[in-house]
Amino acid sequence: MNTLLKQSILALCGMLSLCAGALAADGQLKLPEFGGLSDKASEVVTITLDPALLGLAARFLDPAKPEDAAVREAIAGIKGIYVRKYVFDTDFVYPQADVESVRKQLSAPGWQRLVEVRSRKEQQKVDIYLLVEQERANGLAIIASEPREFTIVNIVGSIDMKKLHELEGQFGIPKLELEQKK
Amino acid sequence: MKASDTWSADELLTRARGGESSAFATLVRRYQRTVYSIALRMLSDRHRAEDLAQEVFLQLYRAIDSIDSETHLAFWLRKVAVNRAIDRMRQESRHDSEPLTDAVAVADESTEEDPLLHRRMAELVAQLPPAARAVVVLRYQEDLDPVDIASTLDMSINTVKSHLKRSLTLLRARVQGTAIVEDIR
Amino acid sequence: MSKDFEQQLREALRPVDPEEGFELRVMARIARERSRARTKVTRWVSVALAASVVFAAFLGAHQWQQRREQEGLEARKQLIEALRLTGEKLDIAYQAVNREAPEPADDGSGA
Repeated sequence: MNTLLKQSILALCGMLSLCAGALAADGQLKLPEFGGLSDKASEVVTITLDPALLGLAARFLDPAKPEDAAVREAIAGIKGIYVRKYVFDTDFVYPQADVESVRKQLSAPGWQRLVEVRSRKEQQKVDIYLLVEQERANGLAIIASEPREFTIVNIVGSIDMKKLHELEGQFGIPKLELEQKK
Repeated sequence: MKASDTWSADELLTRARGGESSAFATLVRRYQRTVYSIALRMLSDRHRAEDLAQEVFLQLYRAIDSIDSETHLAFWLRKVAVNRAIDRMRQESRHDSEPLTDAVAVADESTEEDPLLHRRMAELVAQLPPAARAVVVLRYQEDLDPVDIASTLDMSINTVKSHLKRSLTLLRARVQGTAIVEDIR
Repeated sequence: MSKDFEQQLREALRPVDPEEGFELRVMARIARERSRARTKVTRWVSVALAASVVFAAFLGAHQWQQRREQEGLEARKQLIEALRLTGEKLDIAYQAVNREAPEPADDGSGA
């Protein structure tokens, strides 16, 4: 059942990822400025890759290297990637209302929640949403929060979740397994 | 002992840049253990490790004018050694198809209390994917901190920490013979 | 326990020396390379002189290209980091899904 459920999710994402086409609506979220948080945070990651920067980055992916080629494939239909991650040394110093304001945008038409994770022990919340329009995934949003950290990932454009998943094991992307000897 | 053995690394660098072969040879003697060990842990084969180590020093010879200090030299050698090893591994796509006989021999020569355990650990490290293996080797063989590892491998610190955390979890579990379960509750 | 394990890992990965004579083999290899390089010097001098004139003309363009390359490499680095973070969070979700799904009665596979 584990395998079936996982395969069902991947299949759904695969169906939704079929071909690129004209985008009906923009899957870009309005992300708060989080002004003043940088001073309080022990670690900040702010990534804003608009179409121009994504194109530039793609030109520096070496098609001869398998891992770079896989990334090129994964981002083929993507128009933008936006990441905000803040880590703190004490609990809940960040304005949860700001994080919730992003979650609220995901109740707009088209956004569908794919997965919701709630961990009572670690007070961890992870929500993954897809913007589905005419059976195509045109946006991805991940909001992950815990007492000392929150991460928001917004990917705009045609998302191929299967190819994103296939990046596992490269570039420090999770899924670590020991290679089996023959 | 040769006279050049008493010179500081900075003096050796100055002389080597001036064309003194003996100075360069002394640099090789001083750093061969570091370079060779990195190559050996990454490639898991003595012959290939020696070949790669020789290439690193050949490259150093060509680039000696650009090395301006002992610190820079150590950083440069590690960076070139590990990145060449990663490139070699990816080109050959031979992550661990050969038995780790050389690592077995290494472990047996040491004086630690549990050679079997250490041999097992060395074998498991040799089975890690290239990038994770490089991070573990630089951390636990070269004793670099995550910031220096990030510079050496041109990775973000977060990626380094992610590799370390996951590699240790995996290695610990495999050594202990337990399945890996990440408890997210 | 964690400290012991890491200390044992350090011992397992203790640095080792190459086989005896490594330094001599390196210096021999360097000597061979220098010998090959000498025969190419004369030919390269005249080529270098001509190239230097052309090079000066393209220097400005090259510097621009270098800046662009730096920007591109930085953008690539950010892209990789963004995908890594995305994968990290997707991984949490996948694991949660796998843990929550009930085992069917006839499924003998482990978790």
